[in-house]
Amino acid sequence: MTSDDTTPMRDPFHRMLDLTARICMTVAGVQLVALIAIFGWLVFGRYVLNDTPTWVEQAALLLVVWITFLGGAAGVWNKAHLSIDFVREMLPPMVRIPLRWIAVLGVLIFAAYLAWYGWELAGKTWRRRIPMLAIAEGWRAVPMAICGVLSVLYSLYHLAMLIRGQDPAEH
Amino acid sequence: MGLSILFGIFAIGLLSGMPVAFALGLATVGGFLYEGLPLFIGFQRIMSGISVFSLLAIPFFIFAGELMMQGGIAGRLVRLAASAVGRSRGGLGVVNVASSMLFGGISGSAVADTSALGAILMPVMKEKGYDADYAVNVTVTSSVAGVVIPPSHNMILYAVAAGGISVSQLFMAGVVPGILMCLCLGVVAWYIAVRRGYPAEEFPGWRALVISFAVAIPGLLTAVIIVGGVLSGVMTVTESGAFGAIWALLVTIFVYRELTWAGFKLAVISAVRTTALVMILVATASSFAYLLALYRVPDNLATFVTSISSNPIVILLLLNLTLLLLGMIMDMAALILICTPIFLPVVVGLGMDPVQFGVIMMMNLGLGLCTPPVGSCLFVGCVVGGIRIEQAVRTIWPFYLAILVALMLVTYVPAVSMTLPNLLK
Repeated sequence: MTSDDTTPMRDPFHRMLDLTARICMTVAGVQLVALIAIFGWLVFGRYVLNDTPTWVEQAALLLVVWITFLGGAAGVWNKAHLSIDFVREMLPPMVRIPLRWIAVLGVLIFAAYLAWYGWELAGKTWRRRIPMLAIAEGWRAVPMAICGVLSVLYSLYHLAMLIRGQDPAEH
Repeated sequence: MGLSILFGIFAIGLLSGMPVAFALGLATVGGFLYEGLPLFIGFQRIMSGISVFSLLAIPFFIFAGELMMQGGIAGRLVRLAASAVGRSRGGLGVVNVASSMLFGGISGSAVADTSALGAILMPVMKEKGYDADYAVNVTVTSSVAGVVIPPSHNMILYAVAAGGISVSQLFMAGVVPGILMCLCLGVVAWYIAVRRGYPAEEFPGWRALVISFAVAIPGLLTAVIIVGGVLSGVMTVTESGAFGAIWALLVTIFVYRELTWAGFKLAVISAVRTTALVMILVATASSFAYLLALYRVPDNLATFVTSISSNPIVILLLLNLTLLLLGMIMDMAALILICTPIFLPVVVGLGMDPVQFGVIMMMNLGLGLCTPPVGSCLFVGCVVGGIRIEQAVRTIWPFYLAILVALMLVTYVPAVSMTLPNLLK
């Protein structure tokens, strides 16, 4: 799933960050299976038992947000996000290298915002309850903060690679 | 000025190779800061953008497609197509197109279609004397059917981005254009096969045809459940997606018995990855779209376009060309989310139904998946077929032309896409 067999440097940071990305994917995978299971239960309840479990829809929306942001964070580490690399890679090194810096710094900045506002959103909505579910509304924003923090760490690692003159695409 | 900041940051982000979703997010942050709007609202929109009920269908569709890929449906569909249309000249080329049509209806993803069918058909085609470039070209271009023929998760993205268009109408609208496109591709595949002197397959007999159809039925039912559930109005698109995913799981475990534990895990991980990438795009694109609306970009573009020409034929051609060019360099999901709010007011102003435009957009961007420099289907197809991209592209033109012919028919003859959805109204 990750690219560690092509890794030129397997330092402890790399191993640790790789582990966090794997954990994200595993948790999101379990959440996806849970999402399908509860929705199956909803369909069964509505059409067979004639008794719709009303909590399912809200729980499903919550699960999707978690899957999105955990998978999104892992995507930053695994370079799975949709991007256009070919223009940059065609350009001469004089332009290509600064563009690589811009790409990494851009992710770093937006990830920092995600972390900050994810945290704020969670805090502001913590006292409210999600309708039909007995948990705090703030849980919806927690994955956004997690995605932000992890993506900051991943881009810091990519930044360190740039400083050492390496291409972050090759970790 | 604000608009220049928004698009400037986005363009530099794209050029630098930043993930599209992050470039959209960063541009939005820039726009909010410049306008002095509270960023809190921007990030709330990122959250609310993905907390949309009909979007829940996307992970279900993707997971059902992944399961079908891991669980042995592709091989059965190829066998069905081979016994039905294999006896024509260049039979396997036509079989390839027909398989894509069937598989596209189930997986809803062009890339899944290319890798699943390509892995089965390309080795057989090469063994029987077909050239590798032909095998790749047919597989890659026919996989566009996956995004046009329902169910297609890209259509749900379009429905959400367009602001509440009926998914069932979109699904219906995709059927005829999808089949039409496959017919055009089938003709080209046949013609080239005849010219290159590829062999025909033997007809295995009606009994074999019936058997292969019976064997394929449980897999084909996945599509019937999803599409049928939506069209009949019995289930919501999300419910039928979930039901379809569970059905796919049951079929691959208990009927086909080909889904291993490793295959299941792979399907889950791939589905998570695709879901996350698409949904993160939805999230940041919805915040970006908020600023686009604030700057009245769609209205201004509509005014600008009508100032170039008042002839709808010319405007539609320009729009097609723009979508095609964008599709060549960017991926489908991102473009649907960015272009729909911008272009839709223009075509609605011309009197086009948003449903018809949805199909046009799917075909344009689908073709973009098969073109260099950025074409995920083309890349996957070349890897599976073991040839270089230049080799494939040298002879792929007639296939592009076939899709373009279908695209023009869908663009200028509304009845092609709109007859079925109008029946539904």
